[in-house]
Amino acid sequence: MKRSLMAAILAMTTTLAGSAMAQTLVADPAAEVKHEGTLKVMTKFGMQRLAPYFTDLAKAYEAAHPGVTIELIQEDDDSVKGKTKTLVASNAMPDIFFSWTGTWGGNFVRGSRAVDLTPVIGPGTEWGGKLASAAVDAFVYDGKNYGIPLYLDAKFMGYSKPAFAKAGVEVPTDLDGLLTACDKLRAAGYTPISIGNKEPWVGVHYVGQLLAYNVPREVLEKDFNPATATYDDPGYVAALEQFGQIAKRCTVGAAMNGISYQTAIQELSDGKAAMYYQEIIEFDSAASATTALKPEEFGFFRLPAPSGAKGDPEALEGAPEGYMISTASGNVPLALDFMRFVTSPENGKILSSPPYGQPSAVIGGADPVTMNPAVVGGLEDIARASYLIQWLDTVNHPKVAAAWLAGIQAYAGGDMSAEDVVASVRAAAEAAK
Amino acid sequence: MAQSATRIRTGRAPGAPHPIGQPLAALWSMRWVAVALGIVGWFVYYPILNNFLVSTTQQDIFTGEVTQVGLENYRRLASDPVVATAMWNNTAYALLSILFQVFGAFWLAAIIEGLQSDRWRAIWRAVYFIPSAISTTVTGLLFYFIYQPQIGILDGLMTGMGLGHLSRVWLGDSTTAIYAIIAMSQWQGFGYSTLLFSVAIQKIPQELFDAARMDGAGPLRQIWAITLPMTREMTGMMIIVTVTGAFQVFNEVMVMTAGGPNNSSQVLGTWLFEQGFNQNDMGYAAAIGSLVFGVTMLCGVAQLWYTRRRRVEA
Repeated sequence: MKRSLMAAILAMTTTLAGSAMAQTLVADPAAEVKHEGTLKVMTKFGMQRLAPYFTDLAKAYEAAHPGVTIELIQEDDDSVKGKTKTLVASNAMPDIFFSWTGTWGGNFVRGSRAVDLTPVIGPGTEWGGKLASAAVDAFVYDGKNYGIPLYLDAKFMGYSKPAFAKAGVEVPTDLDGLLTACDKLRAAGYTPISIGNKEPWVGVHYVGQLLAYNVPREVLEKDFNPATATYDDPGYVAALEQFGQIAKRCTVGAAMNGISYQTAIQELSDGKAAMYYQEIIEFDSAASATTALKPEEFGFFRLPAPSGAKGDPEALEGAPEGYMISTASGNVPLALDFMRFVTSPENGKILSSPPYGQPSAVIGGADPVTMNPAVVGGLEDIARASYLIQWLDTVNHPKVAAAWLAGIQAYAGGDMSAEDVVASVRAAAEAAK
Repeated sequence: MAQSATRIRTGRAPGAPHPIGQPLAALWSMRWVAVALGIVGWFVYYPILNNFLVSTTQQDIFTGEVTQVGLENYRRLASDPVVATAMWNNTAYALLSILFQVFGAFWLAAIIEGLQSDRWRAIWRAVYFIPSAISTTVTGLLFYFIYQPQIGILDGLMTGMGLGHLSRVWLGDSTTAIYAIIAMSQWQGFGYSTLLFSVAIQKIPQELFDAARMDGAGPLRQIWAITLPMTREMTGMMIIVTVTGAFQVFNEVMVMTAGGPNNSSQVLGTWLFEQGFNQNDMGYAAAIGSLVFGVTMLCGVAQLWYTRRRRVEA
């Protein structure tokens, strides 16, 4: 009797949880937009410098449509991850929410949490034609469009031109050249590369780019899928060892684990460090009118590839970032209308220019006259990349991502060998199958 | 008088059999507490039961899919090295917190309450309490800068004192990260405990101290023979609160290290969050939650039992 009661309770719990699963929803391009009600929007623009962008957009949209209220949930790069999953688990997703590409975005598709936007943003549509096609395609899952790209992002080594000049070094063209440059910069009194790995994705970003150089693309793509992952290519260990060399000769070494990435970027801005490995969307904050390092003194280059590596030396780490519409939204047409407003060329230009410096994914949304020249150059470099390798912590299964994050922090701190890190990633991939 | 009042309310003579029977009468009388029981049951006991049910499943928060796995998540708990690390970290948190926030705070309160000047007593209470009024997030940022390996004042002070060789990357070293967090937590919680002990000491009748003085007892003897036994109940309560608090700690670790480096500073709370919300493994997270519940429940019951046995009345 007791057993059957327990079974009944378990079945009820299972049913209740199962019923939380959302239904697939396809956007209707002909749906009438009623400009009334409240839209909840979760952004990744919570940092003080970026927050006004969506705040201003919300005010402008509300002014144009007095019946609409926009409620913003502004998170930052770290907090958005936990916040999103908390809202998913409690079935309280906002109408519009931020998403990375890769497995991160795929989770919402898999769980029918994101509206299928193919009829409104897919191939041949008016809206889709106004956005960079590569950025739109990055949000395609199973042949359908689920995301609205807002800006393009990629990782570059930002550097101080005065520091390079003082140390007498040129922009390095390979990994050995970078290590040699680091020795000279240290001798000149600079921290060659400032790095803060307290937030472990920082080290993961270095390794992600080095993996693209050391591991063939098809092997990487195979290993990103837990079902086919083997992680037995020797390029994985090689990439970690190269990161170890950079950590030892160019940075503060194991101390990086006690430093925040924000402190590290500040070192470059203050002129104490010569380089900082950063996203293109950080260019405007690394060097501005208010920092010691001025925009005209700021330069960038790709993390140099090691000579003779077996991967793709023209690959670049990065991905567009954008927004999805929740299937739980009670007003999908209004949500789409707001995102059309956000992705207008005028708003794209504002986004691409200082102080935001987020290169817009909107065609015509970047004006070189108003933009930081470094951001313009970064955009051109992204266009030249043979392959965009996505962030390791968002392209992988969460368990595999966690193994990379913890393992690289341990490797940087001297607690694990490169082989041990790869073994832990392999084990995590096995557990995720 | 009371009997007549009862008669008026019930319309029955005292001792007369209840018209609807004794068990039903008892049940009927529960109506007064039903609302409170309902609220407590829904918000406290149902989540505990539901957490256990969830811990026997594997759940995907994105799809809502639920698979029954029996006690598999509990078997994983036993073999998860991070759980072992987290258990040790929570235990260290509890032991050090008892040392500083219970016994240390008791002695400090005894010293403060022993001061003759009312003004100085008030000043010292306020001085020690101020850190408790600062939010954990702000304290976390403050201590991040104190511990920072390049510009932190801790390493600067140590170097200035000729102890530079002992400098460490306090939050970035897997052997020191959790202790750096615990130290911050003691700094923040010490004053609050001191204030509670001060209140308990103030409630001790002054005649006891006067009598002890007349018998020739010095300050230390008075603390040992009067203050300590008379505040035993508060000490017991503080130990329960401290131990359960140590096993539920979350904010401090999340703000300072998020469990890193390499999971070395994970505590059960942050590992639960990591599993549930970052690794999409709600069933296993619930099993960790059950572990936290079991440990804190055991500690609480043991402490209550011990304290009640040794209660001293004035």
